[in-house]
Amino acid sequence: MKLAVLSESPADEAAIVVLVEAVIGGHFKHVRPGLRARGWPSVAQVLPSIIRHLHFNTDADGLVVVVDSDDSVVHNAEHDAPGYFHPQCRMCRLRAVFRQTTKKFPASHGRSRIFHGVGIAVPAVEAWYLCGCDEQVSESAWVAGQGTGQLPYTRAELKFRVYGTDRPNLQLEIQRAVEEVRRQRHDLRRLENDFPSFAALARDIRGWNKNS
Amino acid sequence: MIASVAFRNFKALRETSLILAPFNLVIGPNGSGKTSLIQAMVQLRALARLPLRELMPDDERHPEGAEITFRFQPPFDGLEASLSCVSESLCDFLQVTPLSTGGGVDDWVGLRARLLSLKSYRFNHEAIASTSALKDGGELAPDGVNLAAVLFTLRNTNPNIFECFKAELLRIQPEYDEITLIEQADHTIALGLRLAEGAEVVPSDNLAQGTLYLLAILALAFDPEPPAIVCIEEIDRGIHPRLLREIRDLLYRLSYPASTGDTRPSVQVVATTHSPYLLDLFRDHPEEVVITEKHGRTAHFTRLSDRADLAALLEDGSLGDLWFSGILGGVPDEQ
Ligand SMILES: [Zn+2]
Repeated sequence: MKLAVLSESPADEAAIVVLVEAVIGGHFKHVRPGLRARGWPSVAQVLPSIIRHLHFNTDADGLVVVVDSDDSVVHNAEHDAPGYFHPQCRMCRLRAVFRQTTKKFPASHGRSRIFHGVGIAVPAVEAWYLCGCDEQVSESAWVAGQGTGQLPYTRAELKFRVYGTDRPNLQLEIQRAVEEVRRQRHDLRRLENDFPSFAALARDIRGWNKNS
Repeated sequence: MIASVAFRNFKALRETSLILAPFNLVIGPNGSGKTSLIQAMVQLRALARLPLRELMPDDERHPEGAEITFRFQPPFDGLEASLSCVSESLCDFLQVTPLSTGGGVDDWVGLRARLLSLKSYRFNHEAIASTSALKDGGELAPDGVNLAAVLFTLRNTNPNIFECFKAELLRIQPEYDEITLIEQADHTIALGLRLAEGAEVVPSDNLAQGTLYLLAILALAFDPEPPAIVCIEEIDRGIHPRLLREIRDLLYRLSYPASTGDTRPSVQVVATTHSPYLLDLFRDHPEEVVITEKHGRTAHFTRLSDRADLAALLEDGSLGDLWFSGILGGVPDEQ
């Protein structure tokens, strides 16, 4: 399997690779160079071009996109209803981009379309890194905080808890990211339970084999 | 180090002030005061070299002359330094006065020593690429012209720091696996980088501009005796957008040494840029971004963190795009 990963930084990419391999249960070949976006909404802006490029110009089997939710609306089961689309939900937005972009693509490189996996880290990827270490941190805690207006933590606090500084350099970010996802890779049940927007990515990926 | 600067009639800075953080990224159109801010700090250093003069009688003051007033962080927060200027741009008089509160009132000598260490850089890739005389291997020159000699000296006097410098360079530019510094017959030092593939040494005048700028910034970040204040113009110059994160990290290494586990004192950094991609990297620290704005012939400073609606704006756009759009200010006037 050959995959492309679209992320916001080399540290995110390093962690996503470990998590995706944990879901697949093996290694995958990587489309080089790694794809990068400059945060939301740049991800949504460049995604159609990236999908087009991967479909027509490469033999990639799939594309994994992971972005932070920041303060946006978090995806939930209601959004999964047929035809439903929440304009402030990044999961709904990115899935829609995949749908619309690939709708009229002819087959290329022996496949009708490339697989896609969308994950949203709520509110930031550092929350995933803390899963299993910090009981306070979960997607439901964040969503509950959005409801009451009393957020349980800030993105800056999450970063501080992971890196021990609010100005980590890239090397430290990569090191900590990889340490934390390697800790979790042998059993993803906790991460999938505490972070449904990660579970959605895992489901996307597990669905690839069934659809292939 | 410097807590604030207030300007009166200094070039386009007619009446504005700025609180400085440990790290300051200054953005804005040409002629809006980015360079003037750095020039003011350089003039403070120049005048601090001279003996202090007595208080200037009011009748000697140039009523329309420029005046620049600096205040400082503890332990020097009890002192104020004012530059008076003969013209709109040339200051010739430094006055240091005690404030009613704060410390260091009697320690102008201590403050002066720190101000004298201030360094201002505007790197030039052709200068950086040149061979340099071994004897010039002290402090890095403002354009980077003596980089080869500085690195040669660093390797001899601080081999451990040189190894860290090299490791960082080779990590950021993995196409190379060695830095070569060769003393030539005429006692000049030639700098080169050895390609990991094929082992060919690329001489400095054949290196990419971005690599030369990176070498100079790395030399600053690994200076064993860093100055108290560093000003760098156009910090993004020649650097690939994806490598700007490394540049930011190197500058943070100076300003926030604790973030990399370093115990040396913090260096105050003032860096200017025109790169929206570099600006994107300050989304979590808008308090570090200074916007210079020019209306007609008058310029002033604002802090990005002063924007009350910044968080809401960032939901729908990156910082760089917001700046380019004009809604943050700091863009050129158009016809
Ligand atoms: Zn949704």
